[in-house]
Amino acid sequence: MSEGVILSGFLAPHPPHLVYGENPPQNEPRSEGGWEPLRWAYEQARESIERMKPDVLLVHSPHWITQVGHHFLGVPRLTGRSVDPIFPNIFRYDFGMDVDVELAEACCAEAANLGLVSKMMRNPKFRPDYGTITTLHMIRPQWDIPVVGISANNTPYFLNTKEGQGEMDLLGRATREAIRKTGRRAVLLASNTLSHWHFHEEPELPEDMTKEHPERYDGYKWDVRMINLMRQGRMKETFQLLPQFIDEAFAEVKSGAFTWMHAAMGYPELAGRLHGYGTVIGTGNAVIEWNLQEGGQP
Amino acid sequence: MSIVSAFLVPGSPLPQLRPDVAPWGRLRDALAHAGDSLAASKPDCVLVYSTQWFAVLDQLWITRARSAGLHVDENWHEFGEQPFDIYSDSALAHRCVQACNDAGIKTRGVDYDQFPIDTGTITATTLMHFGSSALPVVIAANNLYHSAEQTEQLGAIAAAALQDKRVAVVGIGGLSNSMFRDNIDLQEDHILSEADDTWNRRLLALMESGDVEALRASLPDYAKEANPDMGLKQFHWLLGAMGGNFKQAIVHEYAPLYGSGGAVVEFKLQ
Repeated sequence: MSEGVILSGFLAPHPPHLVYGENPPQNEPRSEGGWEPLRWAYEQARESIERMKPDVLLVHSPHWITQVGHHFLGVPRLTGRSVDPIFPNIFRYDFGMDVDVELAEACCAEAANLGLVSKMMRNPKFRPDYGTITTLHMIRPQWDIPVVGISANNTPYFLNTKEGQGEMDLLGRATREAIRKTGRRAVLLASNTLSHWHFHEEPELPEDMTKEHPERYDGYKWDVRMINLMRQGRMKETFQLLPQFIDEAFAEVKSGAFTWMHAAMGYPELAGRLHGYGTVIGTGNAVIEWNLQEGGQP
Repeated sequence: MSIVSAFLVPGSPLPQLRPDVAPWGRLRDALAHAGDSLAASKPDCVLVYSTQWFAVLDQLWITRARSAGLHVDENWHEFGEQPFDIYSDSALAHRCVQACNDAGIKTRGVDYDQFPIDTGTITATTLMHFGSSALPVVIAANNLYHSAEQTEQLGAIAAAALQDKRVAVVGIGGLSNSMFRDNIDLQEDHILSEADDTWNRRLLALMESGDVEALRASLPDYAKEANPDMGLKQFHWLLGAMGGNFKQAIVHEYAPLYGSGGAVVEFKLQ
């Protein structure tokens, strides 16, 4: 067996509005569209996935919140209906996912080797969170690639950002090692929004795009600043600014997916390809790809 | 007065899933005892607020008449499932939706098959034996952006909307919310820190005394020092429903829940 590699990593946010706007057969509510620039961005990401044909998609979601350790989906197949607890009017989705349990177990073991508390989720009745499902749908709606789902341990909120991101760094390193040892060709998905200030009331027609705009101008400016750094491949600066960005833009990257992904990729100083940016109920969302193969990264 | 009984209970599933762990079993027994008191107050419905049902857009209420399924907690999946079959009084829930909107709080009903009822609501309805067709619930979400004051206002609005009914009110959520972050010997569970324990006991003593003024005065410090579950908003909601007052309280049990604090408290209104 040859050593596994990480092919690419995506910042792949999870507003269920994007699924709603697309009207896929799996989602019960019907829309008139909406959030097209972000959905077009995901179309490009889907094309990239199609070209790479990875063995597995790994997703770290802030909506599977765990207190004791980092958890990994560990059931070969999970099916059911996911109704969003916050946006049930727009997301009632019938999912079915195959889990790469062997890789998940390897990630869990490597995390433990690095001193993290880690657990396998073995309950077949478990319903994955809507963040995991939305990101996976938007990146690969065919659901024909096995996945590894990883919880967001709440350390960054319970302790502090530095300690929390430190754990996510270790989790990323563990993930990288597990991928290497299991020989997988993997794609990583960081299911995070950028600035996270949002509306507190929903427009009568959720997809009425005349109502969509950044909730706060300072949040928008932060997003642009960070995206520009990422597009230029100035990732050291990006990570130096990350704690301030988190504090001042209420950025969802605090939950750790972004750090996990870049730690797994070895923090490459590689220009991210911006597939698109847009707001959803006022929050800032970017679909950005760091393609390690095209970038010549190890 | 529409409120005939009131209870503060924990939302952790551990008392249901692992009653073999001594403190969690004591909480289960206390929840059953509180459920007996609730039933004895002969309510028409149970008004429920759980910290674990998050809303961020608008205020939400369950308007679906029956919610049934099998729940697996995102943290404690290793301990098994929680079956549930919860009846709501949808007409009364619609009344609350209307009352909130009339008060200028944008509010919606939730009526969807397989909507994820939260762990706290499932645990409390199961262990306290309410949410049946004979004793339905009226369930409100915890909007994360509502302050303690707004939450108290919501409780008051709901109680006023149901004033022609006999209503039991249940606030579901924990006390100090700092948990162990490692695997522990479950039989050795205890409150994470002495400071948390002290703050919890001080709060519960004030509740028992019925000195609402002193209790209110202590809440900001408690929220700051004990890191309570959602800032103890479930108690503010109870206060609102109780008209800001009660005579005394009975603490049926206080115990650790993986380091956090949980208490089953019954408020005496007369």
